[in-house]
Amino acid sequence: MSLEIEGLYKRYGEVEIFRDFSISLAEGMITCILGPSGCGKTTFLNILGNIISPDSGIIKGIDGKVVSYIFQEPRLLPWKSVRGNIEFVLDRNMPPNERKNITDRFISLVGLEEFADYYPSKLSGGMRQRVSIARAFAYPSDIILMDEPLKGLDIKLKLNLIQTFSKIWQEYRRTVIFVTHDVDEALLLGSEIIVFSRAPVEIVTRHIVEIPFTGRSLDSDYLKNLEKELLSALGG
Amino acid sequence: MKILFTSKQYVSLASVIIILIIWKALSLYFNSGFVVPSPEKTLITTLKLFTDDRFLLTVGTTILRSLTGFFISFLLGLLAGITAGINPYFDAFLRPVLVTIRSIPIISIILLALIWLTPGIVPVFIAMLTMFPFICTNVSDGIRSVDRDLVQMAKFYRVGKTRIVRDVYLPAIMPFIISGASSAMGIGWRAIITGEVLSHPKYGIGTLMQNAQTYLNVDAVIAWTIIAVVISYGFEKVIRWSERKLIVWRL
Repeated sequence: MSLEIEGLYKRYGEVEIFRDFSISLAEGMITCILGPSGCGKTTFLNILGNIISPDSGIIKGIDGKVVSYIFQEPRLLPWKSVRGNIEFVLDRNMPPNERKNITDRFISLVGLEEFADYYPSKLSGGMRQRVSIARAFAYPSDIILMDEPLKGLDIKLKLNLIQTFSKIWQEYRRTVIFVTHDVDEALLLGSEIIVFSRAPVEIVTRHIVEIPFTGRSLDSDYLKNLEKELLSALGG
Repeated sequence: MKILFTSKQYVSLASVIIILIIWKALSLYFNSGFVVPSPEKTLITTLKLFTDDRFLLTVGTTILRSLTGFFISFLLGLLAGITAGINPYFDAFLRPVLVTIRSIPIISIILLALIWLTPGIVPVFIAMLTMFPFICTNVSDGIRSVDRDLVQMAKFYRVGKTRIVRDVYLPAIMPFIISGASSAMGIGWRAIITGEVLSHPKYGIGTLMQNAQTYLNVDAVIAWTIIAVVISYGFEKVIRWSERKLIVWRL
């Protein structure tokens, strides 16, 4: 199964972002979309999430699907604890103890059990982004859209969050569309990596990464070669 | 930290003592209870006021007036403020009204209110008019300051409208509401007493202040002033206490 986009058109005033753009995205995989900043990656996510509508085009396989989001900023409610923030997005009709179980499970998966009752102001930037990852997985979604959630974090934190994310993902698989401009992030997390060109967007190249997450190292020859290819695709 | 705090308290205490010394010096200099009564005599007068059987009725009536004025202006301010915060046209409509209310001298409002209304209502009306702009402006500023990203997040996660208002908007504007309430109470309380002095309702701190002034009971005027200050301080304490209860997440 896959998500299919056919004949997508979208323009902002004079700027044509998508012109007769078609793509198919594998379900149950992590697809990383790389591209120069301002190329329309975020627009693409927003169209997938049905937040903005395209001028024209067909999107197949997304109707009735539930979507959760991991934004660049954690977007946590400052007046709610870690637990409160996750419960906030869960269905009100769910029995309270089930809601609590789900919340606790994902808090512990991101390693924040001890901080469950902390307010976001007491957490570090990396911890807040963990909460936002937990929230996205706790929400019963089919698809997770990620818009550069690691931007601005230092490399150690990035690796840390990528590990956490892939660990949870292996247990609770979702279709993930992960937009970034950082090649390393894509190499570490992507099942497939797609490079977008400047607007109007075209697919420059797409690669399936054939190593499982657990065995990935940026120093390996395979990823180094892939990195070179991706960088030249981005530069071109 | 602790030492800093107590040393600050010492400074505050010193400031109170200096005020009392100046007061005492002035009373010795003028040597007349009709001009500047001594601090000790004023203290005795203040304590005597407490024993007066109409004390509670007087103070209670004035407090009731200010609370009535406060709650009416609070509700109106909340409604108008939320509407103005959401709708820029209503905001544009409201702005000149608020500027006008703010720049009218309180005394003009009192004089007009004396013509239009009964004495008991005048102070309430004045409190309402002076408090309303504070609440309204603060609430609409609060609404505008709500983080759009959070609202968008809640919408993306399909959280219902009622819960967006209750869990996103309301907590976000709470600090603004509290600080509006605090300024409103501070200004409104003084306006109420001014209103009572001039409208002379049957019961009220202002009524008794004016009586005292007529008979040159300067110590009683000051005694009532002290009582008014203490009550105002009490209001402020209640507001700060509710702030700590309502805004735990900031600490």
